[in-house]
Amino acid sequence: MTTGTGIALKDVSRAFAARETVVQALDRVSLDCPAGSFTALIGPSGCGKSTMLRLALGLDAPSGGTISVAGQSPQAAAKAGLTGVAFQDAALMPWRSVEGNIALPLDVLGRKRSDYTGKIAGLIDLVGLKGFEKALPGELSGGMRQRVAIARALVTDPQVLFLDEPFGALDQILRRQMNVELQRIWMESRATTLLVTHGIDEAVFLADRVVVMQSRPGRIGKIIDIPLPRPRLPDVFTTEAFHALEDEITEALDGH
Amino acid sequence: MAIDAAGRRGRHLAGLRNAIILIVLWELLGQLKLVAGGALPAPSAVLIRFWQDRGDYPLHLLATFEGAALGFFIGNVVAIAAGILFAVSPVAARLGRGLNVAIFALPPIAISPILVLTFSGMTPRIALAALGCYFVTMSATVTGITQTDRRMLDVVRAYGGGWVALLRLVEIRSALPAILSGLRVAAPAAVLGSVLAEFGGGGRYGLGVYLIGSLGRADPPRLWGIGLAATGMALLVYALFALIEARITHTTRAVTVAATPPGTPLAIGGFAGAALTLISAALPFAVWWGFLKMLGTPPMIAKTPLGVIDYLFFAQSAETAQLRLLSALAQTLPLTLLGMTAGLAFAFALALASVVRPGIVRSFMPVALVTQTMPLVALTPLLVLLLGRGPSVILWITVSVTFFPAFVTLAQGLGMVSRSALDVVRAYGANPFIQLRLVSIPASLPYLFAAMRLAVPRALLGVMIAEWLATGTGLGNLLNQSRGYLDYGMIWTVAVVSVLISILFYQIVIVVERRVLQRRGMQPAS
Ligand SMILES: Nc1ncnc2c1ncn2[C@@H]1O[C@H](COP(=O)(O)OP(=O)(O)OP(=O)(O)O)[C@@H](O)[C@H]1O
Ligand SMILES: [Mg+2]
Repeated sequence: MTTGTGIALKDVSRAFAARETVVQALDRVSLDCPAGSFTALIGPSGCGKSTMLRLALGLDAPSGGTISVAGQSPQAAAKAGLTGVAFQDAALMPWRSVEGNIALPLDVLGRKRSDYTGKIAGLIDLVGLKGFEKALPGELSGGMRQRVAIARALVTDPQVLFLDEPFGALDQILRRQMNVELQRIWMESRATTLLVTHGIDEAVFLADRVVVMQSRPGRIGKIIDIPLPRPRLPDVFTTEAFHALEDEITEALDGH
Repeated sequence: MAIDAAGRRGRHLAGLRNAIILIVLWELLGQLKLVAGGALPAPSAVLIRFWQDRGDYPLHLLATFEGAALGFFIGNVVAIAAGILFAVSPVAARLGRGLNVAIFALPPIAISPILVLTFSGMTPRIALAALGCYFVTMSATVTGITQTDRRMLDVVRAYGGGWVALLRLVEIRSALPAILSGLRVAAPAAVLGSVLAEFGGGGRYGLGVYLIGSLGRADPPRLWGIGLAATGMALLVYALFALIEARITHTTRAVTVAATPPGTPLAIGGFAGAALTLISAALPFAVWWGFLKMLGTPPMIAKTPLGVIDYLFFAQSAETAQLRLLSALAQTLPLTLLGMTAGLAFAFALALASVVRPGIVRSFMPVALVTQTMPLVALTPLLVLLLGRGPSVILWITVSVTFFPAFVTLAQGLGMVSRSALDVVRAYGANPFIQLRLVSIPASLPYLFAAMRLAVPRALLGVMIAEWLATGTGLGNLLNQSRGYLDYGMIWTVAVVSVLISILFYQIVIVVERRVLQRRGMQPAS
């Protein structure tokens, strides 16, 4: 059992009944993310990454096994306001402005918005959306929307942070910038972070550990430690050690 | 942007031009007394008459508006609350299904005399107007809430939000456009309800009272004036909500009237499922019973379900009652079926034709939409004037009341047939008729069934209004007569029988629809 703000999955399975067959999205997965660690989840499409995240968020119940977040059930942790999340697609509310969308978790948790005005302004600045505070999601590009979702995930100062391909819709340059920013935020807050990504370089740059998953049934293939020292600067992308780690992950993805 | 605006202005101009042409033509027809010996008065004659009657209108308009507005308010508040309940709780939806079908299928004219008997003052009008609004708004609310983007719900749930937070932060707001379009469609229903209750008697003022009073006086311009006044009232409310909706969504959504009560799919089988179905079917009767008990109306006037059975089968006059009912049914049912079939066939043909020539929808849709805002009662006397009082008028009224909503539903359904599916057959050089046969007709089946479900109660309502107002035959007349004789048993019987018939037809359509669509792997359209 992990103490503090860790995430612990023990023998977790999740099966979906399709029309004729049963899809085993996760098959007895055990994963321990210690408090304050940064874990990246990587794997082929459909291997159950999003499913795992949804289970840890209490949005879905496992068919077997147990999950604890910060020593509590996922639902309890969510209700206590310990968690933050950015989904694969931004999932903004079209009728709320950028500010309003970022403030949504506060409304759900029943916190006073007025205590957070400075925080919200800071986050908007951080994700580079200054001047768009009052804009509606329909007026933003896909990448801008995703940045709003990231700001929303951070607004509660979460101790456990779940990110499902948060930078998927960003261009390579912006993506690198956001990676650097995310590392900075994480180093300040030391929130236990679980990041789902398709980018091998992103995983290596950000994570303490990269968990490589395999599909059909969804399971953990290999866990690779990333011993690079922090803070990692953008030039780490070109180092020998970085490439070696990337190659190791690529191999693991190929199933070796 | 500029091109878009210019295009829109062009279309508006074309619409204005068409309207002017139509009015000029109408004026000519009226002035020359070309249609039915002057039954179609010229617009100028209608206006002049309206001006002469201007002293009468305010009180009548006010009375109808009062009933319609209060009913609209109460009915929609209840409908939205019920819609939220049904959307949140599938069990409640399943339980309420019987009651919802009954309210949907209920021809308001059938219960108008009952309401007048059991209540007094404005209450019957308010009740009937409220009943008219209920189903439309309730189902719009359910649809709106259940179609909320799941991803937005997930965000709220991920922060531990329960169903209250989901409703408050996401579902109600995202259902708002649907609810508003429900309110828009409910507006004419409220006016219709109020006017129909006025037919049932009670009160000196109201457009319905005015209409009945003027019916015998062979004064076409006045009848047209009353009809247009009722339409204008409905149109104003309709426009108001269309405006609010456009403000909120930036796009006005299509007007289709829902014809499915919520609570169909729920995976509760076995004993519990059967029990739910049974309770759901019994609920309308329980509500009927409970209401009468609560009001304490004397049993002589207010018949409980048992009272109706007693009247029809065991009382002394049971035999004559049965005979009268059966002969009325023998007149009403064939015409209802015939009119409904003809209306649907006509709508289907025109909707299909509009696929081959899209211009048809563009020029016809505005007319169809305006007639949807036109309370049925306003239309009937006009058709009576045009067509006389023979059985053909019943047929025409039934065709016209089923045609327009069916056409709107079908045309919009066909409009949603995927472009790419059509492109595939077009790429192989299919001509429009092959496109129809291979793509459009099969794809439009769900909408045909939806149109049928919608047509059932409307057809019966149309026939009964025509019988009451024009021909003096069938169920409508039996109802009107029994009202005159104070034959309470028969009033209740006709009401119950017409509701049951309507529900029966509706259920038949549902069963056939499920069979056919299931075999083709299609989903019902709401
Ligand atoms: N609600 C559901 N119903 C049925 N099957 C589901 C459901 N959600 C996920 N699945 C199935 O579970 C498997 C894993 O899905 P999941 O969304 O977790 O994949 P993923 O790893 O996030 O993929 P991607 O990288 O494409 O986002 C897939 O095979 C998918 O079809
Ligand atoms: Mg995913």
